[in-house]
Amino acid sequence: MREGELPGLLVNEIGGKHGILHGHVAFLKKHFYLITMKEFLEDRKRMSKKVQAIYLWWHKPVIDQELLQSLPNLKVIANSGVGMDHLDLKLVASFGVKMANAPRAVSSSAADTGMALLLASARRLVEGYHIAMSSGMEYCEADILGVKVTGATLGIIGMGSIGYKIALRAKAFEMNILYHNRTRRKEQEEQAVGATYCETIDSLLQRADFVMVVVSLTPQTHKLIGKREMELMKPTATLINISRGAVVDQEALVTALQTGVIRAAALDVTYPEPLPRDHTLLKLKNVIIMPHLGIKTDKATYMITEEAVENILAALNGLPIPSEVLPS
Amino acid sequence: MWYHRPVINEELLQSLPNLKIVASSGVGIDHLDLKLISSYGVKVSNTPFVVSTDTADLGMALMLASSRRLVEGYQIAVSPDTEYFPADWLGAEVSGATLGIVGMGTIGYKVAERAKAFEMKILYHNRNRRNKEEESAVGAIYCKKIDDLLQQSDFVLLSVNLTPQTHKLIGKRELELMKPTATLINTSRGLVVDQDALVEALQNKVIKAAALDVTYPEPLPRDHPLLKLKNVIITPHIGSATKKTRRLMMENMMESIQAGLAGLPIPNEVL
Repeated sequence: MREGELPGLLVNEIGGKHGILHGHVAFLKKHFYLITMKEFLEDRKRMSKKVQAIYLWWHKPVIDQELLQSLPNLKVIANSGVGMDHLDLKLVASFGVKMANAPRAVSSSAADTGMALLLASARRLVEGYHIAMSSGMEYCEADILGVKVTGATLGIIGMGSIGYKIALRAKAFEMNILYHNRTRRKEQEEQAVGATYCETIDSLLQRADFVMVVVSLTPQTHKLIGKREMELMKPTATLINISRGAVVDQEALVTALQTGVIRAAALDVTYPEPLPRDHTLLKLKNVIIMPHLGIKTDKATYMITEEAVENILAALNGLPIPSEVLPS
Repeated sequence: MWYHRPVINEELLQSLPNLKIVASSGVGIDHLDLKLISSYGVKVSNTPFVVSTDTADLGMALMLASSRRLVEGYQIAVSPDTEYFPADWLGAEVSGATLGIVGMGTIGYKVAERAKAFEMKILYHNRNRRNKEEESAVGAIYCKKIDDLLQQSDFVLLSVNLTPQTHKLIGKRELELMKPTATLINTSRGLVVDQDALVEALQNKVIKAAALDVTYPEPLPRDHPLLKLKNVIITPHIGSATKKTRRLMMENMMESIQAGLAGLPIPNEVL
């Protein structure tokens, strides 16, 4: 390995629980000299100067003061995926290190996850599966009536690129689309998906049959959906969360589901992940939980790595970074 | 009738001298001997259009659930043994993939409308070709031969009615033409697929997976091999199973019955 020639890229691990996917390694090695955290910790003196970039996969390695101080030549941290809530943006910037995420690669895949959860919950797919495949007794078809999706009202909270792709998909299901966002979208964008802006989140919550939460986690969106918001929702409504677990007040959600304040929930994300095995959410019949499907497809994950590499190479070459994230 | 019951046979027809009409829920009428019923001067009606969007919605739900491994994912998320969510547990992308629709009637077309919004490439095979405007509205490409559709599709969705011509339409030959990475989705009737051939194809990874809302019979016997396969999801014929649609079906049936009893033209009559 010609160590001196390629810039060093620090990753948490390769393979294993949360490591870089094996299928991506060859591509990464074309551009970088890969260093795992284990290799770094075993040989800090030699490795620390080589690291010019870090590639985060599932939020690891953890970026703290100590790590930043020990990497004098670090220029850029590239995040896989779009959420940056696990990073202290100000701290990183204070070391003169740039940051980037991978928004383009994730939006279709994440939008598909949102729609998959909406449809599965509305049509009671998981329940139906267990009835059809169980070795139990006869079932009564009439017991598994679901909620009609076509023509229903979808309220999208967070109309960024993922939220907008959800709107495009929902429109094809003839859904009536409401949205709430920090800023209103342009008229043409609204018209293209037939979306109606709700200046207050309340007016969206009161009218929606399905409430889809697609925001990034910030101090402002922490527990955005709590007791008050759920009580504003229709008792026949479904809450779908594909953002971050902490955007929803989980205790309030348990109560709302147990007492019929809302009909059902479909959660791709929880806090923590995974939930403790004795958590009430795991036992409720009107919840489906997924193991953070997010963008977990072969295609999307590979595109994320491609996008991250693009960002890193731009940073190392002193060029504008396509998906730079600045501390706000 | 609901869920194909009661069974309409010669004995029943003979014992009901004043029977004027049989109103059947849903759109399929393969369970009815139309010639026999007609020979007794009895009319037949179904509820064709009201079930279309729900069935199309379910077709999309099955495609997404299968591709993104929803059922498995749920089991991992709630299992008492789960300690972490592995990073290398991945599904397959629906957006941008190729969907082959076999049977482009009302339901098939609504599936195409939905799939287009997922940026899918859409192929279709049908007895008759749709007109240019209809094709371009959903970006659908006609495959005169079903083989062409089968060879190119990542997802093959069946939305034909069951007739002598579509009985076992998808058999060993058709399954072998499909990509080994492809998924078969059936929202038509169980008998459109050669079920034994399907079991073999799934066991031998001739195709990747199947998602079935319909089987033959329904429900399957509890020891049927399809129930044991990890790459199959089955739902209990819930294509039109929403409160709203069931109510609309009932209203349609009432209208047909009332017209039939009054000797007036019958809405949704099946000839």
